[in-house]
Amino acid sequence: MNMDQINQALADLANCNDPAFAQAAQNIQQAAQAAQAGQFSTQDLAELLKDTQRQLDVVQEMSQLQFKETLNTAINGLLVIIGAVY
Amino acid sequence: MKRLIILLFPLLSSCAVYDAITLTGFDPSEYRIIAEIRTDASVYYNTCPNTPMSQANAQALAYKTQLFENYSLEIPNNENTIKAAKDLNAMAQGLVTRYQQDQNTPVLFCRLKMKNIESTATIIQHVLGNRPR
Repeated sequence: MNMDQINQALADLANCNDPAFAQAAQNIQQAAQAAQAGQFSTQDLAELLKDTQRQLDVVQEMSQLQFKETLNTAINGLLVIIGAVY
Repeated sequence: MKRLIILLFPLLSSCAVYDAITLTGFDPSEYRIIAEIRTDASVYYNTCPNTPMSQANAQALAYKTQLFENYSLEIPNNENTIKAAKDLNAMAQGLVTRYQQDQNTPVLFCRLKMKNIESTATIIQHVLGNRPR
């Protein structure tokens, strides 16, 4: 993957409908431009990219938790129905 | 209805059902801490140009993310939040480390860090707020 393809992928993400991913892509673009302009060290850029990775991990963990919450609500609802039937 | 219930349960893995049943309920203290982290990050974003103040704010924020991690750590059946809390804390500690290495931390670095922390805290807050009551 070359730099143009990376920029295109980030631009696509920045225009996507998911606000969290769009924000993350915009942040990466901003950080990459600042690094290219010499405002950032490569260490700073690496730290911000690690943040994006951490954010993706958080999204994954919270998606799982949300699934469990929905399932919990459904099971409790079913238990109430069972209780009403018997 | 009874048939539907009997048919539905085998479709789910027993682990998923067990995790859902034993899920930790809504915890107002946990929710408050994550709401504070989100709010602090959004307010501290504006103080990034003031380096001494921003450094103090970064430390205050890292204290709260550490508190959130420690608070979540000993709550049973809370693995997803524990992992998220560790990631959030690592984000905040990164800014403190940067200020410790160099007082002239770029304002943009501080701002992007605060934005990252705020948006991550918002994602966590949204899910914690939906915990069963």
